[in-house]
Amino acid sequence: MEEVINELMGTIMSNQLNIPALQPVLDSVSQLPVVGLLISFILWKPVFALLICPGLSTVGILLLFFPWVERKLCGRIQWRVGPREIVPWLGGLIQLLADTLRFLFQEVIVHKDAHRPYFLQFAFLSFIAALLPLLFLNAGNVIAIETPYAIQAMLALVCLFPFFILGLGWASNSRFAYIGTVREAFMYFAYEISFIIAVIAMVVLYGTSNPLEMADKPWGLILNPIAAFTFFVGAAMATSRMPFEIAEADQEVAAGPHVEYSGIAFGLIYVMCYEKAYILCGLMTVLFLGGGSGPDIPGITPLLGNDLMGIVWFLIKTIIVLTTLFVLRTIYPRYRLDQGLNIGWGAMITLSLIALALSIVLVQGGIVL
Amino acid sequence: MKKVTVPEQSTVEKAVRHAAAIGVAVKESVYPLTATVQYPRQRKKMPDNFRGYILFDPEKCINCWECAFICPANAIRMKEAPNKKYYPTIDYGRCIFCHFCIDSCSGGALRATKIHDVAYKDMDEMLTLTEEMIEPPEIIREDKKLVEYQIDEKDLRLKKTREEDNLIVEKAPPPVEIQMVSQCIDRASCIGCHVCEHVCESGAISSSIANGVMRMKIDTDTCTGCGLCVKECSMQILTLVRK
Amino acid sequence: MKMVTESEWEVNVPDKQLKDKVYFENLKSVVIDTEMCSRCLTCAAICPGGITVVNNKVDFPDYETKCLDCGACVRVCPRFVYEPKSGLGDYIEFTAGRSKRFAGQDGAMVTEFIVSAMEMGLIDRGLFAGRDENWATEMFHVRDSEQLTITTLGGTKYTFADVLPELKKAVMFTKSGVGVIGTPCIVSGIRKLQQEFPIFREKVKLVVGLFCTENFHYDDISNFLKAKGVDFSKLVKTDITKGKFISTMTDGKVKFKVTEAEDIVASGCNVCTDFTAVESDASCGSVGSAKGFSTVVVRTEVAKKVIEFIRAKGHADFGDADPAQLDFLIGHKKKRAENIKR
Repeated sequence: MEEVINELMGTIMSNQLNIPALQPVLDSVSQLPVVGLLISFILWKPVFALLICPGLSTVGILLLFFPWVERKLCGRIQWRVGPREIVPWLGGLIQLLADTLRFLFQEVIVHKDAHRPYFLQFAFLSFIAALLPLLFLNAGNVIAIETPYAIQAMLALVCLFPFFILGLGWASNSRFAYIGTVREAFMYFAYEISFIIAVIAMVVLYGTSNPLEMADKPWGLILNPIAAFTFFVGAAMATSRMPFEIAEADQEVAAGPHVEYSGIAFGLIYVMCYEKAYILCGLMTVLFLGGGSGPDIPGITPLLGNDLMGIVWFLIKTIIVLTTLFVLRTIYPRYRLDQGLNIGWGAMITLSLIALALSIVLVQGGIVL
Repeated sequence: MKKVTVPEQSTVEKAVRHAAAIGVAVKESVYPLTATVQYPRQRKKMPDNFRGYILFDPEKCINCWECAFICPANAIRMKEAPNKKYYPTIDYGRCIFCHFCIDSCSGGALRATKIHDVAYKDMDEMLTLTEEMIEPPEIIREDKKLVEYQIDEKDLRLKKTREEDNLIVEKAPPPVEIQMVSQCIDRASCIGCHVCEHVCESGAISSSIANGVMRMKIDTDTCTGCGLCVKECSMQILTLVRK
Repeated sequence: MKMVTESEWEVNVPDKQLKDKVYFENLKSVVIDTEMCSRCLTCAAICPGGITVVNNKVDFPDYETKCLDCGACVRVCPRFVYEPKSGLGDYIEFTAGRSKRFAGQDGAMVTEFIVSAMEMGLIDRGLFAGRDENWATEMFHVRDSEQLTITTLGGTKYTFADVLPELKKAVMFTKSGVGVIGTPCIVSGIRKLQQEFPIFREKVKLVVGLFCTENFHYDDISNFLKAKGVDFSKLVKTDITKGKFISTMTDGKVKFKVTEAEDIVASGCNVCTDFTAVESDASCGSVGSAKGFSTVVVRTEVAKKVIEFIRAKGHADFGDADPAQLDFLIGHKKKRAENIKR
């Protein structure tokens, strides 16, 4: 029994997050009986990845504040003010907290034509499904499950989202939800193939699908910008952001597949969109922006240590990509469904095939090792 | 039939336009303009001829009913006052704030204010009686700042000053007034009833009888163009023309 | 818009017979009180004050204070300076017709005249006397032949109608012209108006006169007919043929001699000598033609054009008419000249 515990402790302690600045504090705390164990458990990299970053806590904080950032930024660009009334001196910073409270205490209405069990289940299942890819997402060298097939696994899980969204629309059993769902289904087919080919192009280019190894290579954005562009547009389509907000078109079908939802069920779906966006932007950072790699900053890097700096660089890059994705809505108007499909099946697939060819040429030509 | 098509653009042109659009977004996110006036904490400065709540001065009213006649929304009804004169009442539930009444008021009894935010509890209350129109209505002022739009060649800026706007226009800018004057279009059909002479407030219409012939005369200088005679003429041979 | 040049004008003021009285009092003493008044209401049409009908007589309540003393009523009254007309008058054509489109008294040629003039574009509205369920007259502005499907518009009512006050409104509204139907007294009132005021000359384009022996006040005739057993709710048609007043009801007829109703004939009719509306553009009536036809006397070029239009379009059948048949009634009315006291 003791051997097992010792072995387990050995595994945990050998894979600890290293923070030089906090090391003296951590050393003293680790002497305490239970708290020490708990802290070292949390600082165990796989658990840290799941619970802190890029896992639940980061997702939670981003979900709380990113919608606010988006609204505020879009407001600025469009000469408006954005959310303001809740805590005006903070510029309405906790607007989403208020929204969350409202969602929490609002009645969840299940209308009588809806398929009640699925109607409720899919709302929560889709939220969980959107969390799964976090298992394989790395921030620097912090990753929950380290595997040479992490990229493929993430891709597989990302492609799982649509099933739950389609399920939402189907369980709603309403014509608006139905229209939205059909549009959503059309769009999934339109973007997914080119999206996957773009990722494959990067895997071919790097010669590996282990995200930890990718971080050491040159940035994919510079090596294969076409793949990066295709991936970015695909991400915009996947998250139903503005130019491709075809399924959720506010003015036409209210909120697409989730038009019938209210209360916390709607809240979960609402934040799921942002969660999806975060995961795809994280994936983009890993694939094209070198993941957690970044230059050493004298004075700070020695203090935080390589592990934490990886996380910081990852977060900075991800947030930049997220912001870019969100700002798109202020620049472009929405496409029609036929235009969206045209882009997906035409330009996107062409571009992704070109990107794949470019990757093969680059690898075969020996330009990239 | 001409079909509307997408303008022809080369890929480079398209790319340049996309870049320009992104450039604007970046510029605005860094150094944004704002068009929002945060009413009621801020109030936009309205021009002096703003079409708002309407005030009434019974002293100047000549009882011509023109306001009630011209009102396209039928919001103005005339009501008999204790002094046997008829004064307007406005139903703000119908009023479309075109201010035709003010423009048509030849006595200058109606005048505009900048008040546009009067709250009513129900539809009945929106019927504003004559005595309520004499004084400006009670409104709650929360504004601390006065916002003025300043439009230069390219952009719009908000100039915010800490002052309270006076919503009652003391001296309205003189409107581009079209001087009208009454005139007889069919002099032979006049029956000589001199109703026009009786109703004329300014005394511009006069008549004199000599040798079985009545001479009717409209003094174009004193005529204010109020149109009372035009309305009252039983033969409808009077009309208003530009001076 | 016209330039301001027309700010001075002159109005001729008529002479007063009673020098120090207002004009209405002149009219009252000369026409109304002498029972000369034909109740054509020309004065009421032109009066800017309030000439109206009180107890079957033209009156002006409170004229002492309200009369504007303009003299318009005196200028237009056809009986103030009475020039009695009689006979058949001048005519261009004497014929008989029966409308194919409309149903009315006899041949319904009066309706046909007005509607055809409307179709020609000569006029844009015609004035018709309709009736309510109690057979009191009401004026209708007919602007489309479809309106004439209202059956109450056709047919004679033998009571006075307020044609002229309505004519003034029609003149104010009309764009191209007005067509009007009237008894001889109304026709002479219109002619007097046209003589005095150019606006009527311009706008009243077609005046169709009716053959008229006498007319009744509504109160009198309705009481009389009720006493004879006529039920107004069933009454379909009234007619005077061969000296008999015939009231046709849904369930039978009431007939009596016109002479029985002599006492209730309006007083103004006693001094009227005109049977065929001599001054009209065209006169119509049943006398002088076969049953089912109307006699048409075309007097002016305007009416001639209209009747040629009717012929060209084939809206009516035409038959023969005999002027000699009118002689008895013309002579009968001519005798009334004796009643004129002035």
